[in-house]
Amino acid sequence: MDRNQRPRSILDSLGEELIAILTPVSICSFTVVLLVCILNSDPSSSSASFSSIATAAYSESDSDSSWDKFVGALLNSVVFVAAITVATFVLVLLFYLRCVKFLKFYMGFSAFIVLGNLGGEILVLLIDRFRFPIDSITFLILLFNFSVVGVFAVFMSKFSILITQGYLVWIGVLVAYFFTLLPEWTTWVLLVALALYDIAAVLLPVGPLRLLVEMAISRDEDIPALVYEARPVIRNDSRSVQRRVWREQRSSQNNANRNEVRVVESAEVEEEHVGSSERAEISVPLIDRRPEQAENSETFLEGIGLGSSGAIKLGLGDFIFYSVLVGRAAMYDLMTVYACYLAIIAGLGITLMLLSVYQKALPALPVSIMLGVVFYFLARLLLEVFVVQCSSNLVMF
Amino acid sequence: MEATRSDDPSLNPIRNRNPNPNPNPNPLSTIISSAQVWPTIDGPLGLTEEASVDYARRFYKFGFALLPWLWFVNCFYFWPVLRHSRAFPQIRNYVVRSAIGFSVFTALLSAWALTFSIGGEQLFGPLYDKLVMYNVADRLGLSGLA
Repeated sequence: MDRNQRPRSILDSLGEELIAILTPVSICSFTVVLLVCILNSDPSSSSASFSSIATAAYSESDSDSSWDKFVGALLNSVVFVAAITVATFVLVLLFYLRCVKFLKFYMGFSAFIVLGNLGGEILVLLIDRFRFPIDSITFLILLFNFSVVGVFAVFMSKFSILITQGYLVWIGVLVAYFFTLLPEWTTWVLLVALALYDIAAVLLPVGPLRLLVEMAISRDEDIPALVYEARPVIRNDSRSVQRRVWREQRSSQNNANRNEVRVVESAEVEEEHVGSSERAEISVPLIDRRPEQAENSETFLEGIGLGSSGAIKLGLGDFIFYSVLVGRAAMYDLMTVYACYLAIIAGLGITLMLLSVYQKALPALPVSIMLGVVFYFLARLLLEVFVVQCSSNLVMF
Repeated sequence: MEATRSDDPSLNPIRNRNPNPNPNPNPLSTIISSAQVWPTIDGPLGLTEEASVDYARRFYKFGFALLPWLWFVNCFYFWPVLRHSRAFPQIRNYVVRSAIGFSVFTALLSAWALTFSIGGEQLFGPLYDKLVMYNVADRLGLSGLA
Protein backbone atom coordinates (compact mmCIF):
# COMPACT_ATOMS: atom_id res chain seq x y z
CA MET A 1 0.00 0.00 0.00
CA ASP A 2 1.64 3.10 -1.21
CA ARG A 3 0.68 5.98 0.95
CA ASN A 4 1.82 8.47 -1.59
CA GLN A 5 -1.24 7.79 -3.65
CA ARG A 6 -3.80 7.87 -0.89
CA PRO A 7 -3.27 10.55 1.72
CA ARG A 8 -4.72 9.74 5.09
CA SER A 9 -7.95 11.54 5.54
CA ILE A 10 -8.97 13.16 8.73
CA LEU A 11 -11.29 10.25 9.43
CA ASP A 12 -8.45 7.75 9.61
CA SER A 13 -6.51 9.58 12.24
CA LEU A 14 -9.55 10.79 14.09
CA GLY A 15 -10.91 7.29 14.32
CA GLU A 16 -7.61 5.98 15.58
CA GLU A 17 -7.48 8.54 18.35
CA LEU A 18 -11.10 8.02 19.26
CA ILE A 19 -10.57 4.28 19.60
CA ALA A 20 -7.47 4.89 21.64
CA ILE A 21 -9.51 6.75 24.23
CA LEU A 22 -12.72 4.75 23.98
CA THR A 23 -11.01 1.42 24.59
CA PRO A 24 -9.77 2.14 28.12
CA VAL A 25 -13.09 3.77 29.07
CA SER A 26 -14.91 0.68 27.86
CA ILE A 27 -12.53 -1.67 29.63
CA CYS A 28 -12.93 0.28 32.86
CA SER A 29 -16.72 0.27 32.64
CA PHE A 30 -16.84 -3.38 31.72
CA THR A 31 -14.62 -4.38 34.63
CA VAL A 32 -16.68 -2.36 37.09
CA VAL A 33 -19.91 -3.92 35.79
CA LEU A 34 -18.30 -7.34 36.11
CA LEU A 35 -17.23 -6.66 39.68
CA VAL A 36 -20.64 -5.31 40.57
CA CYS A 37 -22.40 -8.32 39.12
CA ILE A 38 -20.08 -10.78 40.84
CA LEU A 39 -19.79 -9.17 44.23
CA ASN A 40 -23.23 -7.69 44.65
CA SER A 41 -25.27 -10.73 43.87
CA ASP A 42 -26.15 -10.97 47.51
CA PRO A 43 -28.72 -8.25 48.19
CA SER A 44 -28.61 -8.66 51.92
CA SER A 45 -25.11 -7.29 52.12
CA SER A 46 -26.22 -3.75 51.57
CA SER A 47 -23.97 -0.81 51.62
CA ALA A 48 -25.29 0.37 54.91
CA SER A 49 -21.92 -0.09 56.48
CA PHE A 50 -20.16 1.94 53.86
CA SER A 51 -19.66 5.43 55.10
CA SER A 52 -17.54 8.08 53.59
CA ILE A 53 -17.41 11.77 53.09
CA ALA A 54 -20.15 11.34 50.55
CA THR A 55 -22.56 10.08 53.15
CA ALA A 56 -21.47 12.35 55.95
CA ALA A 57 -24.53 14.52 55.92
CA TYR A 58 -27.14 11.87 55.56
CA SER A 59 -27.04 8.13 55.37
CA GLU A 60 -29.85 6.65 53.46
CA SER A 61 -31.97 3.92 54.89
CA ASP A 62 -34.74 2.02 53.25
CA SER A 63 -37.46 3.32 55.46
CA ASP A 64 -37.19 6.97 54.54
CA SER A 65 -39.63 8.54 52.16
CA SER A 66 -38.57 9.55 48.71
CA TRP A 67 -38.51 13.20 49.52
CA ASP A 68 -36.31 12.59 52.56
CA LYS A 69 -33.96 10.55 50.51
CA PHE A 70 -33.77 13.21 47.86
CA VAL A 71 -33.05 15.99 50.31
CA GLY A 72 -30.51 13.82 52.07
CA ALA A 73 -28.82 13.04 48.79
CA LEU A 74 -28.69 16.74 47.97
CA LEU A 75 -27.04 17.47 51.29
CA ASN A 76 -24.51 14.71 50.72
CA SER A 77 -23.69 16.02 47.29
CA VAL A 78 -23.26 19.57 48.50
CA VAL A 79 -20.90 18.42 51.22
CA PHE A 80 -18.93 16.32 48.79
CA VAL A 81 -18.63 18.97 46.12
CA ALA A 82 -17.58 21.48 48.75
CA ALA A 83 -14.89 19.09 49.94
CA ILE A 84 -13.66 18.62 46.41
CA THR A 85 -13.55 22.34 45.81
CA VAL A 86 -11.51 22.91 48.92
CA ALA A 87 -9.10 20.16 48.00
CA THR A 88 -8.70 21.48 44.49
CA PHE A 89 -7.98 24.94 45.73
CA VAL A 90 -5.37 23.47 48.03
CA LEU A 91 -3.90 21.80 44.99
CA VAL A 92 -3.89 25.09 43.12
CA LEU A 93 -2.15 26.73 46.04
CA LEU A 94 0.49 24.04 46.22
CA PHE A 95 1.08 24.25 42.53
CA TYR A 96 1.34 28.00 42.81
CA LEU A 97 3.96 27.64 45.52
CA ARG A 98 5.81 25.20 43.31
CA CYS A 99 5.73 22.34 45.75
CA VAL A 100 6.23 19.94 42.93
CA LYS A 101 8.18 17.33 44.83
CA PHE A 102 5.56 17.16 47.51
CA LEU A 103 2.79 16.78 44.99
CA LYS A 104 4.64 14.09 43.13
CA PHE A 105 5.36 12.20 46.32
CA TYR A 106 1.76 12.59 47.38
CA MET A 107 0.56 11.17 44.13
CA GLY A 108 2.76 8.15 44.38
CA PHE A 109 1.69 7.58 47.94
CA SER A 110 -1.98 7.88 47.13
CA ALA A 111 -1.59 5.46 44.25
CA PHE A 112 0.02 3.02 46.65
CA ILE A 113 -2.82 3.41 49.10
CA VAL A 114 -5.47 2.93 46.45
CA LEU A 115 -3.78 -0.06 44.88
CA GLY A 116 -2.82 -1.69 48.13
CA ASN A 117 -5.82 -0.91 50.27
CA LEU A 118 -8.72 -0.87 47.86
CA GLY A 119 -7.16 -3.40 45.55
CA GLY A 120 -6.47 -5.71 48.43
CA GLU A 121 -10.01 -5.39 49.65
CA ILE A 122 -11.51 -6.15 46.26
CA LEU A 123 -9.24 -9.16 45.90
CA VAL A 124 -10.17 -10.40 49.35
CA LEU A 125 -13.84 -10.05 48.46
CA LEU A 126 -13.29 -12.02 45.29
CA ILE A 127 -11.34 -14.70 47.10
CA ASP A 128 -14.05 -14.93 49.69
CA ARG A 129 -16.75 -15.17 47.08
CA PHE A 130 -15.07 -17.92 45.12
CA ARG A 131 -13.39 -19.67 48.08
CA PHE A 132 -10.12 -19.58 46.25
CA PRO A 133 -7.54 -21.61 48.18
CA ILE A 134 -4.75 -19.11 48.21
CA ASP A 135 -2.70 -18.64 51.32
CA SER A 136 -2.08 -15.32 52.95
CA ILE A 137 1.68 -15.28 52.38
CA THR A 138 1.38 -15.64 48.63
CA PHE A 139 -1.46 -13.17 48.57
CA LEU A 140 0.51 -10.57 50.47
CA ILE A 141 3.54 -10.98 48.26
CA LEU A 142 1.47 -10.63 45.11
CA LEU A 143 -0.43 -7.62 46.42
CA PHE A 144 2.77 -5.94 47.53
CA ASN A 145 4.34 -6.53 44.12
CA PHE A 146 1.35 -5.22 42.29
CA SER A 147 1.08 -2.07 44.37
CA VAL A 148 4.75 -1.18 44.29
CA VAL A 149 5.04 -1.58 40.56
CA GLY A 150 1.86 0.47 40.24
CA VAL A 151 3.50 3.25 42.20
CA PHE A 152 6.47 3.05 39.87
CA ALA A 153 4.19 3.26 36.87
CA VAL A 154 2.39 6.30 38.20
CA PHE A 155 5.40 7.99 39.67
CA MET A 156 7.93 7.64 36.95
CA SER A 157 7.35 9.50 33.82
CA LYS A 158 9.23 7.31 31.43
CA PHE A 159 7.67 3.96 31.96
CA SER A 160 6.19 1.39 29.70
CA ILE A 161 3.14 3.05 28.18
CA LEU A 162 1.09 -0.11 28.18
CA ILE A 163 1.74 -0.89 31.82
CA THR A 164 1.09 2.67 32.92
CA GLN A 165 -2.20 2.72 31.04
CA GLY A 166 -3.15 -0.62 32.53
CA TYR A 167 -2.46 0.57 36.04
CA LEU A 168 -4.38 3.79 35.54
CA VAL A 169 -7.39 1.88 34.28
CA TRP A 170 -7.09 -0.48 37.23
CA ILE A 171 -6.94 2.39 39.71
CA GLY A 172 -10.02 3.80 38.02
CA VAL A 173 -11.81 0.48 38.36
CA LEU A 174 -10.98 0.21 42.06
CA VAL A 175 -12.12 3.69 42.97
CA ALA A 176 -15.22 3.42 40.80
CA TYR A 177 -16.26 0.17 42.42
CA PHE A 178 -16.09 1.71 45.83
CA PHE A 179 -18.11 4.62 44.66
CA THR A 180 -20.87 2.36 43.48
CA LEU A 181 -21.30 1.26 47.07
CA LEU A 182 -22.81 4.58 47.99
CA PRO A 183 -26.56 4.71 48.53
CA GLU A 184 -28.57 4.97 45.38
CA TRP A 185 -30.11 8.41 45.58
CA THR A 186 -26.83 9.87 46.76
CA THR A 187 -25.01 8.39 43.80
CA TRP A 188 -27.29 9.88 41.19
CA VAL A 189 -27.54 13.32 42.73
CA LEU A 190 -23.79 13.28 43.29
CA LEU A 191 -23.10 12.49 39.65
CA VAL A 192 -25.27 15.35 38.46
CA ALA A 193 -23.73 17.70 41.01
CA LEU A 194 -20.24 16.75 39.89
CA ALA A 195 -21.12 17.29 36.26
CA LEU A 196 -22.34 20.80 37.07
CA TYR A 197 -19.30 21.41 39.20
CA ASP A 198 -17.03 20.31 36.41
CA ILE A 199 -18.54 22.85 34.06
CA ALA A 200 -18.08 25.55 36.65
CA ALA A 201 -14.55 24.61 37.55
CA VAL A 202 -13.27 24.35 34.03
CA LEU A 203 -15.07 27.12 32.24
CA LEU A 204 -15.55 29.84 34.81
CA PRO A 205 -12.64 32.26 35.17
CA VAL A 206 -12.42 31.63 38.91
CA GLY A 207 -12.68 27.90 38.61
CA PRO A 208 -9.76 26.17 40.28
CA LEU A 209 -9.05 23.91 37.38
CA ARG A 210 -8.92 26.78 35.01
CA LEU A 211 -6.49 28.59 37.29
CA LEU A 212 -4.37 25.47 37.39
CA VAL A 213 -4.37 25.20 33.67
CA GLU A 214 -3.42 28.81 33.16
CA MET A 215 -0.61 28.52 35.68
CA ALA A 216 0.70 25.47 33.96
CA ILE A 217 0.59 27.20 30.62
CA SER A 218 2.29 30.31 31.86
CA ARG A 219 5.05 28.31 33.46
CA ASP A 220 5.17 25.85 30.63
CA GLU A 221 4.99 22.93 32.96
CA ASP A 222 2.84 19.91 33.21
CA ILE A 223 0.64 19.38 36.15
CA PRO A 224 1.45 16.25 38.01
CA ALA A 225 -1.72 14.28 38.25
CA LEU A 226 -3.22 10.99 37.27
CA VAL A 227 -4.19 11.41 33.67
CA TYR A 228 -4.70 8.77 31.12
CA GLU A 229 -2.80 9.59 28.00
CA ALA A 230 -3.49 7.67 24.88
CA ARG A 231 -0.43 6.51 23.06
CA PRO A 232 0.73 9.29 20.79
CA VAL A 233 0.63 8.34 17.20
CA ILE A 234 3.90 8.47 15.34
CA ARG A 235 3.70 9.19 11.71
CA ASN A 236 6.35 9.56 9.12
CA ASP A 237 5.03 12.90 8.15
CA SER A 238 6.08 14.19 11.52
CA ARG A 239 2.66 15.48 12.21
CA SER A 240 3.30 14.72 15.82
CA VAL A 241 5.83 17.50 15.77
CA GLN A 242 3.17 19.96 14.92
CA ARG A 243 1.10 18.86 17.84
CA ARG A 244 3.83 19.42 20.28
CA VAL A 245 4.04 23.12 19.83
CA TRP A 246 0.61 23.65 21.13
CA ARG A 247 0.51 25.11 24.52
CA GLU A 248 -3.15 25.44 25.13
CA GLN A 249 -3.56 21.75 25.28
CA ARG A 250 -1.90 21.56 28.63
CA SER A 251 -4.73 23.46 30.14
CA SER A 252 -6.95 20.50 29.74
CA GLN A 253 -4.85 18.58 32.15
CA ASN A 254 -5.61 21.01 34.86
CA ASN A 255 -9.23 20.58 34.51
CA ALA A 256 -8.72 16.98 34.86
CA ASN A 257 -7.04 17.54 38.16
CA ARG A 258 -10.11 18.50 39.93
CA ASN A 259 -12.07 15.50 39.23
CA GLU A 260 -9.28 13.31 40.20
CA VAL A 261 -9.06 14.91 43.51
CA ARG A 262 -12.67 14.35 43.91
CA VAL A 263 -12.52 10.80 43.10
CA VAL A 264 -9.59 10.07 45.14
CA GLU A 265 -10.91 11.65 48.18
CA SER A 266 -14.07 9.75 48.23
CA ALA A 267 -12.17 6.58 47.78
CA GLU A 268 -9.96 7.32 50.66
CA VAL A 269 -12.70 8.31 52.93
CA GLU A 270 -14.64 5.18 52.55
CA GLU A 271 -12.62 3.72 55.34
CA GLU A 272 -14.15 6.23 57.70
CA HIS A 273 -11.05 8.26 58.14
CA VAL A 274 -11.78 11.74 57.15
CA GLY A 275 -8.26 12.93 57.60
CA SER A 276 -7.39 15.75 55.37
CA SER A 277 -4.01 14.23 54.89
CA GLU A 278 -5.55 11.36 53.03
CA ARG A 279 -7.27 13.66 50.69
CA ALA A 280 -4.17 15.50 50.01
CA GLU A 281 -2.50 12.31 49.07
CA ILE A 282 -4.79 11.68 46.30
CA SER A 283 -4.58 15.00 44.71
CA VAL A 284 -0.84 14.95 44.43
CA PRO A 285 0.10 15.79 40.94
CA LEU A 286 3.15 14.50 39.31
CA ILE A 287 5.00 17.17 37.53
CA ASP A 288 7.11 15.96 34.78
CA ARG A 289 8.81 18.22 32.40
CA ARG A 290 9.38 16.50 29.16
CA PRO A 291 10.47 18.27 26.09
CA GLU A 292 10.51 14.99 24.27
CA GLN A 293 7.68 13.35 22.59
CA ALA A 294 6.10 10.84 24.79
CA GLU A 295 5.87 12.16 28.28
CA ASN A 296 3.08 11.03 30.46
CA SER A 297 2.16 13.47 33.08
CA GLU A 298 -0.12 11.59 35.28
CA THR A 299 -2.59 13.87 36.84
CA PHE A 300 -5.65 12.63 38.46
CA LEU A 301 -7.64 15.03 36.44
CA GLU A 302 -10.89 15.24 34.75
CA GLY A 303 -11.34 17.03 31.60
CA ILE A 304 -9.97 16.24 28.27
CA GLY A 305 -7.39 17.74 26.10
CA LEU A 306 -4.33 17.09 24.11
CA GLY A 307 -1.11 16.25 25.79
CA SER A 308 2.01 18.02 24.81
CA SER A 309 2.86 15.12 22.59
CA GLY A 310 -0.42 15.47 20.80
CA ALA A 311 -2.02 12.46 22.35
CA ILE A 312 -5.46 12.83 23.84
CA LYS A 313 -5.48 13.04 27.58
CA LEU A 314 -8.45 12.11 29.65
CA GLY A 315 -8.42 12.61 33.35
CA LEU A 316 -8.78 9.59 35.55
CA GLY A 317 -11.73 11.15 37.32
CA ASP A 318 -13.68 10.92 34.11
CA PHE A 319 -12.96 7.22 33.88
CA ILE A 320 -14.09 6.79 37.43
CA PHE A 321 -17.37 8.63 37.16
CA TYR A 322 -18.32 7.06 33.88
CA SER A 323 -17.74 3.68 35.46
CA VAL A 324 -19.67 4.67 38.58
CA LEU A 325 -22.65 5.54 36.42
CA VAL A 326 -22.49 2.29 34.51
CA GLY A 327 -21.85 0.32 37.69
CA ARG A 328 -24.83 1.82 39.43
CA ALA A 329 -26.91 1.05 36.34
CA ALA A 330 -25.69 -2.53 36.60
CA MET A 331 -27.14 -2.75 40.05
CA TYR A 332 -30.58 -2.44 38.58
CA ASP A 333 -30.44 -4.49 35.44
CA LEU A 334 -28.21 -5.12 32.46
CA MET A 335 -30.61 -3.33 30.16
CA THR A 336 -29.85 -0.03 31.86
CA VAL A 337 -26.16 -0.89 31.56
CA TYR A 338 -26.39 -1.04 27.80
CA ALA A 339 -28.36 2.20 27.63
CA CYS A 340 -25.98 4.06 29.92
CA TYR A 341 -22.86 2.70 28.25
CA LEU A 342 -24.04 3.86 24.83
CA ALA A 343 -24.98 7.22 26.27
CA ILE A 344 -21.56 7.66 27.83
CA ILE A 345 -19.74 6.70 24.67
CA ALA A 346 -21.87 9.10 22.68
CA GLY A 347 -21.19 11.83 25.22
CA LEU A 348 -17.47 11.17 25.04
CA GLY A 349 -17.56 11.35 21.27
CA ILE A 350 -19.39 14.66 21.45
CA THR A 351 -16.86 15.97 23.94
CA LEU A 352 -13.98 14.96 21.69
CA MET A 353 -15.58 16.72 18.78
CA LEU A 354 -16.06 19.83 20.87
CA LEU A 355 -12.43 19.54 21.83
CA SER A 356 -11.40 19.59 18.21
CA VAL A 357 -13.60 22.61 17.62
CA TYR A 358 -12.63 24.69 20.63
CA GLN A 359 -9.01 23.65 21.01
CA LYS A 360 -8.85 24.13 24.71
CA ALA A 361 -9.38 22.24 27.92
CA LEU A 362 -12.90 21.02 28.25
CA PRO A 363 -14.78 19.31 31.02
CA ALA A 364 -15.40 15.74 29.96
CA LEU A 365 -18.02 14.91 32.55
CA PRO A 366 -21.10 17.00 31.83
CA VAL A 367 -22.25 15.76 28.46
CA SER A 368 -21.71 12.09 29.21
CA ILE A 369 -23.12 12.20 32.71
CA MET A 370 -26.22 14.10 31.67
CA LEU A 371 -26.86 11.76 28.77
CA GLY A 372 -26.16 8.76 30.97
CA VAL A 373 -28.50 9.86 33.75
CA VAL A 374 -31.27 10.70 31.30
CA PHE A 375 -30.89 7.39 29.53
CA TYR A 376 -30.85 5.49 32.81
CA PHE A 377 -34.12 6.92 33.98
CA LEU A 378 -35.73 6.60 30.57
CA ALA A 379 -34.61 2.99 30.30
CA ARG A 380 -35.70 2.15 33.79
CA LEU A 381 -39.07 3.86 33.67
CA LEU A 382 -40.13 3.50 30.08
CA LEU A 383 -37.98 1.08 28.15
CA GLU A 384 -38.08 -1.76 30.62
CA VAL A 385 -41.82 -2.00 30.71
CA PHE A 386 -41.99 -1.98 26.94
CA VAL A 387 -39.25 -4.55 26.40
CA VAL A 388 -40.49 -6.88 29.11
CA GLN A 389 -44.01 -6.80 27.72
CA CYS A 390 -42.75 -7.46 24.22
CA SER A 391 -40.52 -10.31 25.29
CA SER A 392 -43.06 -12.00 27.47
CA ASN A 393 -45.55 -11.90 24.64
CA LEU A 394 -42.90 -13.09 22.19
CA VAL A 395 -43.12 -10.01 20.03
CA MET A 396 -39.79 -9.47 18.34
CA PHE A 397 -38.60 -6.69 16.11
CA MET B 1 -7.88 17.60 18.41
CA GLU B 2 -5.66 19.49 16.15
CA ALA B 3 -6.80 22.14 13.82
CA THR B 4 -3.58 21.75 11.95
CA ARG B 5 -4.92 18.98 9.84
CA SER B 6 -5.88 21.38 7.11
CA ASP B 7 -2.28 22.11 6.32
CA ASP B 8 -1.10 18.69 7.14
CA PRO B 9 1.73 17.65 4.86
CA SER B 10 0.19 14.23 4.65
CA LEU B 11 -2.63 15.66 2.59
CA ASN B 12 -0.14 17.01 0.16
CA PRO B 13 -0.35 14.65 -2.80
CA ILE B 14 3.38 14.82 -3.35
CA ARG B 15 4.90 13.24 -0.32
CA ASN B 16 8.46 12.31 0.11
CA ARG B 17 9.30 9.43 2.30
CA ASN B 18 11.84 11.27 4.36
CA PRO B 19 10.62 12.78 7.57
CA ASN B 20 10.17 16.47 7.18
CA PRO B 21 12.84 18.55 8.79
CA ASN B 22 11.18 20.16 11.72
CA PRO B 23 12.21 23.10 13.81
CA ASN B 24 11.78 21.14 17.02
CA PRO B 25 15.16 20.45 18.53
CA ASN B 26 13.99 17.19 20.03
CA PRO B 27 16.40 14.52 18.88
CA LEU B 28 13.80 11.77 19.19
CA SER B 29 11.44 13.30 16.72
CA THR B 30 14.06 13.61 14.07
CA ILE B 31 15.07 10.02 14.30
CA ILE B 32 12.21 8.26 12.66
CA SER B 33 14.27 6.09 10.39
CA SER B 34 13.80 2.44 10.91
CA ALA B 35 17.50 1.72 10.97
CA GLN B 36 17.80 2.49 14.64
CA VAL B 37 16.71 -0.14 17.10
CA TRP B 38 15.18 1.23 20.24
CA PRO B 39 15.92 -0.47 23.52
CA THR B 40 12.43 -0.23 24.90
CA ILE B 41 9.22 -1.81 23.78
CA ASP B 42 7.72 1.60 23.14
CA GLY B 43 10.17 2.25 20.36
CA PRO B 44 10.70 5.90 19.57
CA LEU B 45 8.38 6.87 22.39
CA GLY B 46 10.49 5.19 25.00
CA LEU B 47 13.86 5.82 26.48
CA THR B 48 17.12 6.54 24.81
CA GLU B 49 19.91 4.07 25.24
CA GLU B 50 21.75 5.97 27.94
CA ALA B 51 18.70 6.47 30.08
CA SER B 52 17.62 2.88 29.68
CA VAL B 53 20.85 1.55 31.15
CA ASP B 54 20.04 3.56 34.22
CA TYR B 55 16.45 2.32 34.31
CA ALA B 56 17.41 -1.31 33.77
CA ARG B 57 19.91 -1.16 36.57
CA ARG B 58 17.45 0.49 38.95
CA PHE B 59 14.71 -2.00 38.20
CA TYR B 60 17.10 -4.87 38.65
CA LYS B 61 18.28 -3.62 42.01
CA PHE B 62 14.81 -2.79 43.28
CA GLY B 63 13.57 -6.20 42.32
CA PHE B 64 15.54 -7.73 45.13
CA ALA B 65 13.05 -6.26 47.57
CA LEU B 66 10.76 -9.24 46.97
CA LEU B 67 9.50 -7.75 43.71
CA PRO B 68 9.59 -10.38 40.96
CA TRP B 69 6.85 -8.52 39.14
CA LEU B 70 9.25 -5.63 38.78
CA TRP B 71 11.76 -7.98 37.18
CA PHE B 72 9.09 -9.15 34.80
CA VAL B 73 8.19 -5.56 33.93
CA ASN B 74 11.89 -4.94 33.35
CA CYS B 75 12.06 -7.78 30.84
CA PHE B 76 8.79 -6.71 29.23
CA TYR B 77 9.85 -3.13 28.87
CA PHE B 78 13.24 -3.96 27.40
CA TRP B 79 12.01 -6.77 25.23
CA PRO B 80 13.90 -5.55 22.11
CA VAL B 81 17.11 -5.90 24.10
CA LEU B 82 16.41 -9.60 24.55
CA ARG B 83 15.46 -10.06 20.94
CA HIS B 84 18.43 -8.35 19.35
CA SER B 85 21.10 -10.12 21.30
CA ARG B 86 24.02 -8.23 19.90
CA ALA B 87 22.96 -4.69 20.55
CA PHE B 88 22.91 -2.96 23.92
CA PRO B 89 25.35 -5.09 25.89
CA GLN B 90 25.04 -3.17 29.12
CA ILE B 91 21.27 -3.22 29.25
CA ARG B 92 21.20 -6.85 28.23
CA ASN B 93 23.25 -7.74 31.26
CA TYR B 94 20.64 -6.44 33.67
CA VAL B 95 17.65 -7.63 31.69
CA VAL B 96 18.89 -11.19 31.46
CA ARG B 97 19.64 -11.25 35.16
CA SER B 98 16.13 -9.88 35.85
CA ALA B 99 14.65 -12.63 33.71
CA ILE B 100 16.57 -15.27 35.61
CA GLY B 101 15.55 -13.75 38.91
CA PHE B 102 11.93 -13.65 37.88
CA SER B 103 11.92 -17.29 36.78
CA VAL B 104 13.58 -18.49 39.97
CA PHE B 105 11.27 -16.49 42.22
CA THR B 106 8.18 -17.56 40.30
CA ALA B 107 9.21 -21.18 40.48
CA LEU B 108 9.66 -20.97 44.23
CA LEU B 109 6.48 -19.04 44.85
CA SER B 110 4.31 -21.20 42.65
CA ALA B 111 5.78 -24.33 44.22
CA TRP B 112 4.72 -23.04 47.60
CA ALA B 113 1.30 -21.84 46.43
CA LEU B 114 0.50 -25.04 44.58
CA THR B 115 1.61 -27.15 47.50
CA PHE B 116 -0.66 -25.16 49.71
CA SER B 117 -3.72 -25.24 47.52
CA ILE B 118 -3.41 -28.83 46.36
CA GLY B 119 -2.21 -30.22 49.66
CA GLY B 120 -4.94 -28.49 51.57
CA GLU B 121 -6.07 -29.82 54.86
CA GLN B 122 -4.51 -33.23 54.49
CA LEU B 123 -1.02 -31.90 54.23
CA PHE B 124 -1.16 -29.04 56.64
CA GLY B 125 -3.75 -29.99 59.15
CA PRO B 126 -4.85 -27.14 61.39
CA LEU B 127 -2.19 -24.90 59.87
CA TYR B 128 -4.21 -24.75 56.65
CA ASP B 129 -7.09 -23.03 58.32
CA LYS B 130 -4.77 -20.55 59.88
CA LEU B 131 -3.07 -19.61 56.63
CA VAL B 132 -5.76 -19.69 53.98
CA MET B 133 -6.77 -16.27 52.85
CA TYR B 134 -10.49 -16.30 53.30
CA ASN B 135 -10.16 -17.36 56.90
CA VAL B 136 -7.54 -14.73 57.54
CA ALA B 137 -9.83 -12.17 55.98
CA ASP B 138 -12.73 -13.26 58.11
CA ARG B 139 -10.66 -13.14 61.22
CA LEU B 140 -9.39 -9.66 60.47
CA GLY B 141 -12.80 -8.54 59.34
CA LEU B 142 -11.58 -7.54 55.91
CA SER B 143 -14.28 -9.14 53.88
CA GLY B 144 -17.02 -6.95 55.20
CA LEU B 145 -16.17 -3.60 53.68
CA ALA B 146 -15.39 -1.71 56.83
